[in-house]
Amino acid sequence: MRELLLVLNVKAASFLKQVFRLNWQTFFKNLSSVLIFGGFAVAMFFFSRSVTAYLLEQAHIGQFLFHRFLSMLLYVFFITVNLGNMIVCYATLYRSQEVSFLMSMPISHAKIFLIKFVDNFFYSSSTLALMGFSVLLGYGSYFDLPWYYYFFTVFFVFLPFMLIAGVVAVIVLMALIKVASRIGVRWLLAIITTVYLSVTYVYFRITNPVQLVQEVMKHYPNVNEYFGYLDPPLVQYLPNHWVAEFLYWSVNGNYDRAIPYFSLLFLTMLALVVAAGLIARRFYYESWLAASDARAMSGPKRRGFRLRFMEFGTSALFKPQTDVLLKRDFWLFIREPSQWLHLMLLLLLLMVFLVSVGSLELNLTQPSMQAVAFLVVFLFNGFLVASISLRFVFPAVSLESDSFWSVRASPMSLKKLYWHKFIFSFAPLLLVAEILTIASVSMMRDTPELVAAAAVCSAFVALALTSLNLGAGTYFAVFKEKNPIRVASSQGASLTFLVSMVYLGLVVTILVVPLSRYFESLILRGSSQSAWLFGPTAVIAMLSILVFTLSTTIGLKVIKRDY
Amino acid sequence: MIELKNVTKKFGSLVAVNDISLRIEPGQFFGFLGPNGAGKTTTIKLLTGLYEPTSGTCLINGHDVHWDPLPAKRSFGYVPDQPYLYDKLTGREFLYFVGGLFNMPSDVVKQKIESLIDVFEIGHFIDKRAEEYSQGMRQRMVLSAALLHDPKVLIIDEPVVGLDPRSARVVKDTLKLKTREGVTIFMSTHLLEIVEELCDRIAIIKDGRIIHEEVQSESRKFDGQLENIFLELTK
Repeated sequence: MRELLLVLNVKAASFLKQVFRLNWQTFFKNLSSVLIFGGFAVAMFFFSRSVTAYLLEQAHIGQFLFHRFLSMLLYVFFITVNLGNMIVCYATLYRSQEVSFLMSMPISHAKIFLIKFVDNFFYSSSTLALMGFSVLLGYGSYFDLPWYYYFFTVFFVFLPFMLIAGVVAVIVLMALIKVASRIGVRWLLAIITTVYLSVTYVYFRITNPVQLVQEVMKHYPNVNEYFGYLDPPLVQYLPNHWVAEFLYWSVNGNYDRAIPYFSLLFLTMLALVVAAGLIARRFYYESWLAASDARAMSGPKRRGFRLRFMEFGTSALFKPQTDVLLKRDFWLFIREPSQWLHLMLLLLLLMVFLVSVGSLELNLTQPSMQAVAFLVVFLFNGFLVASISLRFVFPAVSLESDSFWSVRASPMSLKKLYWHKFIFSFAPLLLVAEILTIASVSMMRDTPELVAAAAVCSAFVALALTSLNLGAGTYFAVFKEKNPIRVASSQGASLTFLVSMVYLGLVVTILVVPLSRYFESLILRGSSQSAWLFGPTAVIAMLSILVFTLSTTIGLKVIKRDY
Repeated sequence: MIELKNVTKKFGSLVAVNDISLRIEPGQFFGFLGPNGAGKTTTIKLLTGLYEPTSGTCLINGHDVHWDPLPAKRSFGYVPDQPYLYDKLTGREFLYFVGGLFNMPSDVVKQKIESLIDVFEIGHFIDKRAEEYSQGMRQRMVLSAALLHDPKVLIIDEPVVGLDPRSARVVKDTLKLKTREGVTIFMSTHLLEIVEELCDRIAIIKDGRIIHEEVQSESRKFDGQLENIFLELTK
């Protein structure tokens, strides 16, 4: 126990020293983090309270349905925490230099596992936890719950729920690493992806939200009753269902029925933590060795993917400096499975989104609803572009890694390097943004001036988000970190994502009124007044150029910092 | 030629390099010595443009490394203290990459790589990815990259760390050959016997300041005395 506390103490002290370092740069960085994370938390709080009030008072869906929707959201949250932990755990438990160091010390493997798991859990789940707590506060404030309710729910319900997701992730990961040594990482990743997509599909097939709404609405207006008999038996074994049930019964003052769900959550969490410890004692070292061996053997055996014109030493596509940068970035991307696999997943998500939009009837007759539908689709497009930017553009400068010396000490202008990264990030993002926008808006309402305005707005959104992520990624660059996923989930990355969300919020706000007027003229009067689209497009263009200028100025300045 | 004029580098309140001035003539082999944390690597990073000086100027062949960096960087080759490479690239790809950064056509890079394979005996691992390399392999690859564009100046931080005796001999012979070809060499090292064997001139740095300079010539050899001088001055 003593060595465990010693290592955790050292890690905590190093974290605190980093956060509370006495200089202006750290002070402003922390202040801006507090302001943006705080602002985001406040926004989530009000959003959650308004949605709760709307669904229960305006839409009259009743408490039972409300908590079932909450349960589905909690399922998505669970999977997000679970996958996030699994991805980051692979880096922290199996690839970190610190583990190699600790393995050479007289510390038991189970303790090393515990140290790294705690490290990993707080690292990868803190932003999600903040989001969850803000939503819980908003929800609770609608029901006017006392302060100790939040305290209890956060520490004894919500935290165990997240821990269950994290512990399950790490147990699955240990098993997968063992299997990976036999079937290879690529096959393994394909299997994990298929399993998670299938489980999510089956979950929503079983819960069948549409049928659930129809069944409950048969009892209207007595929709506040408990319709537990409608729950499929399988979901009753899921932690998200237990949290939703706890909330349902506790906000209704029936603690006798709430306590069993709390107990179930808490005991499951304890059981899983103990199980993870036991499994780690038996398998962690073994799986760590298997991962090390797999890494050591991965190179020489593979012939690998070939693409003649992208190979070094073949005829140059551009001038030598641009040519070698392009080829280097291409091969570093192709040879890092987490890069191309994430890209494929995101592209799959884009396709799912487009197919979903295509299958929905979004050509509405009410102007305000049509405007809302357009904005939701446009916002989701922006959200996808922001996510891709965060995952691939934000780490671009950090991926120069410890080898950045080779570029810094060469006659390559850093300005040129920055613009190279910008152009080769912006071009594919612009393409994705335009395909998404043109396809989704055309499927919704095939009006040429609307499609054109949306396409122009999307181009500016792509410009702003690329420059924001590249500029912020340069400012928060971590050259010591080799794992792009960890770079994209760092504190700086979370901050950048929140700024992206604020920017997208502003874009939507600019569009709301003019778009409603445009649809009024189009739907009610039958004549489209394109003038309603020019103004907001110009304002979005100006806002985006402002974001681009600020981000690029910062990026170009900080890339010259001492390395 | 390498010239440092009143160069100071501060990190907050810490003065890592304190008002250093040096002038190393063309073809000279300069040894830069000092205890750990004395400011050797910081000086080298200032010379190569990886750090910006708080005050003063660093000139390579007459070009200011910070205000006129590209001509300055074209003329030197750099070997860092830690031989970091891109793990997912092979050694050959890394050499092509560095050649491209120096705007060398790929056919010229190809010829140079073939000659460097012979010099540094890197043929048996050059087509493996760097993630499989040992420290010595990385070191030899980084030295090859530094010599790829035939630089007039070589700036080297601890060139033989991690090398086996045979590879260390190859490096020493190459550096001797480069000096005879008129290349200026600025080398930081802890290995005093290498300095005695190779260097024309030395400087000792302590707490960011140059505390001693000495020239070695045919008439005045160090003859094993360098260790005593070093230990006495850095007490």
